[in-house]
Amino acid sequence: METPGIFWGVIGWMIAWGIAGSLLLRQRYFARDLDTTNAGFVGAMAGAALGPVALIALWARTPQLTGRIIVGVTLLAVVLIAAAFAFADPQNNCVSNGEFVASQITNGLIIGIIYGFMALGLTLIFSILGVVSFAHGEFYMIGGMLVYYLTAVWLPGLNPLAAVVAACAIAMLIGATFERLMLTPMYHGRVDRPVEYGILATFGLAFTLQYLVQALHGASPVKAQRFIDFPRWEWPAEAAAPLVQTRRGSIEFFDLVTISNPRFVAAVTCILVLLALLFFLHRTWQGRALRAVAQDREAAAIAGIDPDKMNMLAFALGGMIAALAGALLVQAFSWLPQVGAIPAMRSFVIVVLGGLGSLPGAFIGGILVGLVEAAGTGCIPNAQKAASYIPAYGMIVLTLTLLLRPTGLFGRRFAGGAHGQF
Amino acid sequence: MTKSSLTGKFLLVATSTLALVAGAATAQDVSCPIRIGALAPLSAPGTVVGGEAMRDAMLIAEEDINAAGGVLGCGIEVVIGDSEGLPERAVAIMERLITQDGVVAVGGGYHSSVGVASKDVANDRGIPVVFAETWNDTITGDKQKYIFRIAPLSSWTSNIIWEFALTVPGVEKVAILTENTDYGIPASQETAKGLNENGVESVIFSVDIGTQDYSGIVNRIMAEDPDMIITLVTGEAAYNFTQQAADAGIGPLDIPFQTGQDALESGAYWENVPDGQYAFVQRIGVPESQFTEKGKAFAAVYKERTGKSDVESYAMEAYDSIAILAQAIEEAGSTDGDAIVMALEDIRHEGTLGTIYFDYGLKRDPSEDGKGDEWWHQWPDPAITMIQYQVEGQSSTEAAIVYPEAYKTADPVFVNQ
Repeated sequence: METPGIFWGVIGWMIAWGIAGSLLLRQRYFARDLDTTNAGFVGAMAGAALGPVALIALWARTPQLTGRIIVGVTLLAVVLIAAAFAFADPQNNCVSNGEFVASQITNGLIIGIIYGFMALGLTLIFSILGVVSFAHGEFYMIGGMLVYYLTAVWLPGLNPLAAVVAACAIAMLIGATFERLMLTPMYHGRVDRPVEYGILATFGLAFTLQYLVQALHGASPVKAQRFIDFPRWEWPAEAAAPLVQTRRGSIEFFDLVTISNPRFVAAVTCILVLLALLFFLHRTWQGRALRAVAQDREAAAIAGIDPDKMNMLAFALGGMIAALAGALLVQAFSWLPQVGAIPAMRSFVIVVLGGLGSLPGAFIGGILVGLVEAAGTGCIPNAQKAASYIPAYGMIVLTLTLLLRPTGLFGRRFAGGAHGQF
Repeated sequence: MTKSSLTGKFLLVATSTLALVAGAATAQDVSCPIRIGALAPLSAPGTVVGGEAMRDAMLIAEEDINAAGGVLGCGIEVVIGDSEGLPERAVAIMERLITQDGVVAVGGGYHSSVGVASKDVANDRGIPVVFAETWNDTITGDKQKYIFRIAPLSSWTSNIIWEFALTVPGVEKVAILTENTDYGIPASQETAKGLNENGVESVIFSVDIGTQDYSGIVNRIMAEDPDMIITLVTGEAAYNFTQQAADAGIGPLDIPFQTGQDALESGAYWENVPDGQYAFVQRIGVPESQFTEKGKAFAAVYKERTGKSDVESYAMEAYDSIAILAQAIEEAGSTDGDAIVMALEDIRHEGTLGTIYFDYGLKRDPSEDGKGDEWWHQWPDPAITMIQYQVEGQSSTEAAIVYPEAYKTADPVFVNQ
């Protein structure tokens, strides 16, 4: 960094006014008996972005803190940080190399979509059962391992799509069976501390699955072959710089950004399945029943919904979502019984960041973490440290968010149901 | 019967009786079976694939030693301790092996951080340790009485890496990807230092062990436009990085590329890195064609037992770490730690990797020969070579040895030339 004084000076200024804004605005809204849910967050972002000018305006007018205001001041703060960075380090690749920036943003989006998708399963389980599943990483691992064994060992030549579907079905079956056998004592007062019991039971499942696979398979990493080969194609055809062109193992946009085939396939599939999941939750009876249980368990039971069955469905669906993420990524990453540990940890961060029990929060939180990791890896001037801190970037965002908004980005302070609403 | 023959028979009986009494006395000092601890990472975040290889090798060593009659008239029992690749876990495991399992010595060890953390426990309790695959210089550099090592020094292996890099035509800038561990950090710094002193620029990227997604790092390495990439990462992380680099156009098929040592298990390598042709890999020990008889015998059993196509150098080191301890106990005639240390300092062990011995220790300090402290209780002779997968799907034992000259079987192929 050429002039670190500029950058750190701006950051110091933002922190000082951010703290002031957070404290003052919360106090102001509280004193005027207004909703203080977002006051601290908006105060911090407005103070950081525009300093005393924004704080005086907000103090005087105390407007309703809508989504537009929240997003607007947050973006302003991010732009200010980016501008300070650009002035302080003009030779940095993140400032001077447009192709590099585009690639990093694309990488962040792609991996963020996959992170977010995996976190969806965790938040679905938490919304209905009120339990954080510590076996989420193992479902991810099982999904990938099953696809590998189905396509490479047991039935060589099997269509990868069939293998992915089979892996999801098996993961759902494992989830449903485990929920029926091990988690039902939580619901009917048969254990003193149901939440702790649930956490420990899922811990047990995690260990069982991981070491069972290790005993059966061993520790050698494996990898499935690429599911599909893209045909060689350009659009517009025969253009000097096509907007989109595909090769067997990659796809390139705007002659600028290249995405490897397995990542592109995984991200697109995650988006399609997310849309299908939203359709299921909003347009089908079972989906609506799940949402009803998430909002108010007792009311849902009175309306004729069996909450216990929804518990089973939620746990099976959550496990299936993690398994699908694994099934899609086994063609991109080396796979072994311990492969789920890091993605599971990241899912916990994303779920809390997005707001416990919020499906949009999980997905947007995932994309946010992906982008922040890409920015940190690409922009931190010291190359050695940039990559070392990858796991910390998400934690920093999480810590800042929880300081300003303890319910997470989309979490609700007073959920009508026991655990949340999606 | 003459008087002299009677006297001779009397002397024979007396000598035999004395020998039996002495043997009985020794046996009374030793409780059977003799337990030898064995460190290996068998759980994440450790490199489990390496740990399982070492565990299998050390259990084969136990079988071989017991089949050959054991030690001091007793069988040996290898007690495996899972270090998980974590320093704090390694300390706890070393304590447990010594205080609960009653081991008289310890072999194995894969991650340097495990060796660095656990050696003090063993040394304080007077239990000899022969580390198998922990490279960090400080492990022997602290000159502790009970600590030995048969793996090469990190600084030494780094020398081979940068010396080889200097032979790459037109190399001006090298990107080094390292894990941020007690193995990776010093190895990358020493490699960078050697390159920089010889006029080659280097840039180091360090990552956590177990990192899966390298897309951002690969992008950044591409922006640096290096002439060569060196990977100092263990386990499947090296596979992930190498293939993701290949997907992005800076893999072994595109520029000179040294991948991680786990690529020596070529079956797993080709499955995980299908675009890994022309990768360079550092190998500890000579190629299989030059193995000792013991090495050949071990390789045959190991391959049959594990179903692997190659024997990894760390498996051979693990086998030797147990076998050399067994020989030292036999030669010491006791399981006393001090006696074993004395025996190890004088030992010449015919192992799978060659003849193992320790030049420096209590009897002669490395400084007497102008050498650094890291040569204390350090085997000075492990062969270090650089191989290259010149044919797709090739086994590591058939791969070309391209450096150093003493072992060279073929010229390296530089893909960007």
